[in-house]
Amino acid sequence: MSETALPIVAEGLQRYFGSGDNIVKAVDGVDLQIQPGEIFGFLGPNGAGKSTTVRMLTTLLRPTGGKGRVAGFDIVSEADSVRRNIGVALQDAAIDPLMTGTELLRLQAVLYGLPKAQHHQRAGELLERVGLTAAGGRRVGTYSGGMRRRLDLALSLIHEPSVLFLDEPTTGLDPMSRISLWEEIRRLNNDGTTVLLTTQYLEEADQLAERIAIIDHGVIVRKGRPTELKAEVGSPTLFVTVDESTHQIATGLLAKFGELRPSPEGSLGVGLHEGPSAVSNVVRELDDAGITVRNLELREPSLDDVFAEATGYRLEGAES
Amino acid sequence: MTSPVTTAPLTPTRAPAETSTIAQTWALSVRSIQSLLRQPSLIVPSLIFPLFFAALGTSSFSRATGLPGFPAVDSYLDFALAGAIVQGILFGSTTGATALATDIENGFFDRLLASPSTRTGIIVGRMAGGMAYGAFQTLFFVLVLLPFGLSIKGGIGGVVGLMVSGTILALAIGALMSAMALLTGSAEAVQGAFPLLFIALFFSSAFFPRETMSGIYGTMADFNPVSHLVEGMRDLVIEGVSASALARAILVPAALAVVSIALSLRALRHRLGAS
Repeated sequence: MSETALPIVAEGLQRYFGSGDNIVKAVDGVDLQIQPGEIFGFLGPNGAGKSTTVRMLTTLLRPTGGKGRVAGFDIVSEADSVRRNIGVALQDAAIDPLMTGTELLRLQAVLYGLPKAQHHQRAGELLERVGLTAAGGRRVGTYSGGMRRRLDLALSLIHEPSVLFLDEPTTGLDPMSRISLWEEIRRLNNDGTTVLLTTQYLEEADQLAERIAIIDHGVIVRKGRPTELKAEVGSPTLFVTVDESTHQIATGLLAKFGELRPSPEGSLGVGLHEGPSAVSNVVRELDDAGITVRNLELREPSLDDVFAEATGYRLEGAES
Repeated sequence: MTSPVTTAPLTPTRAPAETSTIAQTWALSVRSIQSLLRQPSLIVPSLIFPLFFAALGTSSFSRATGLPGFPAVDSYLDFALAGAIVQGILFGSTTGATALATDIENGFFDRLLASPSTRTGIIVGRMAGGMAYGAFQTLFFVLVLLPFGLSIKGGIGGVVGLMVSGTILALAIGALMSAMALLTGSAEAVQGAFPLLFIALFFSSAFFPRETMSGIYGTMADFNPVSHLVEGMRDLVIEGVSASALARAILVPAALAVVSIALSLRALRHRLGAS
């Protein structure tokens, strides 16, 4: 597929702030090729350059260098066409607290040039879609955090964009609200919408994104499918529980399949060099030696391990 | 690389190729008026304080109207109206610009910028809301003060002249404060700049005729455009409609508006490029 046909392309995208000795390279050469119908996760801690990249791709910020095309249009020279074709929900659900949900949707409908006859119906549909029908007539100032995010998402869908940018859509939300927003994002994606979402939650990237990029200090340090990235980190760990009396023999046998790893009390851990396919061989060897396997657990490397390996540190509050 | 976009397997969007700038600007104007009306704590001062000043002046300075240099008026109220209108509009326009700064602070401004609406439409929408409010304030002050002895020599024509003047002044001050909002992106900074406007008001002939002033105070009032604007408006009230009065009441704020719009467009360009 030619690059112009891709929903989101970035080539060496850069954004510097300040000048001279005080120059801050917020984004320093980001390359992206996002496929149609994909959910792409942009993972990184605060200040890594996620939002700056999104602001450039959504035409809100002029790049210092590099190129970008969104929905087939250049983000600088064809910014207006980009805006017509994308939906944007920025950080912190940026909505006017003095307006009602319905008013905001209608304003959005005018801004995106929908025919007047459709405004009412479209606003109603979108409110229903995000479960805010009852709250549509209330001022946004009275909404909870989760309701604001859902309205924010609805606002970004007014013109049925083919490409959707979600900048930290669930930051600060409670687990229930987060899950309901994930479901909505999946539903949109199933309908064919390409989604670029930024997140500082490993679990969110793991759950939603088909491919992810980890950004740190303005540079993409890893890119790929979560499963592949995890596989790159290294071998999965097999935890085996056997009777106390057979520990010594079992340890010797396990060592043939890879290096021994720290394990919870009472079990033995081994990093399988040949990957998950080695499990059956391990079981057979233990069985042949007359050792009874009480429990068996294979644990894949987590995205947390990927992140730690790529950046040298772990995201705060990361799920293991 | 040059394959036409139409062949790309993108879901076609339903947004028409051209969106109506007029409809957008109108919707944004309505929004800015609505949000003003929904914050009574912001509009009340812009309606009450000028009346308070006018009432205070009328009770305290009624004998001052006999001073040499004071124009011949039936009541101090006739003299005070122009100052009250300008004062009210300074308040009101700052409120609009503060709302713009708040939009920038909370990110709603970005949502507007990310939409296909024109950049100028977004700013003009804000200004149009402020202008409508300026016209309303002018009419409000006239109507409230009429029962208290206000008489307008210019009649209906004079009131219309005042409203045009007030509307243009609201644009000029609104644009000036919006430039501040766009440059700083901070509601606090906009409110912090407000006292400067008040200094401009007090060092003018808004509350006393220049003829009664002397020294540095008089010199500052002479150079202060607010003096000339207020006097133009005042002449519509106490002398009647004349070319000279209209010219000062309308051209002074119009000149200010040209400068401040240029400033705010510059500030907008700066924000779009740098932030």
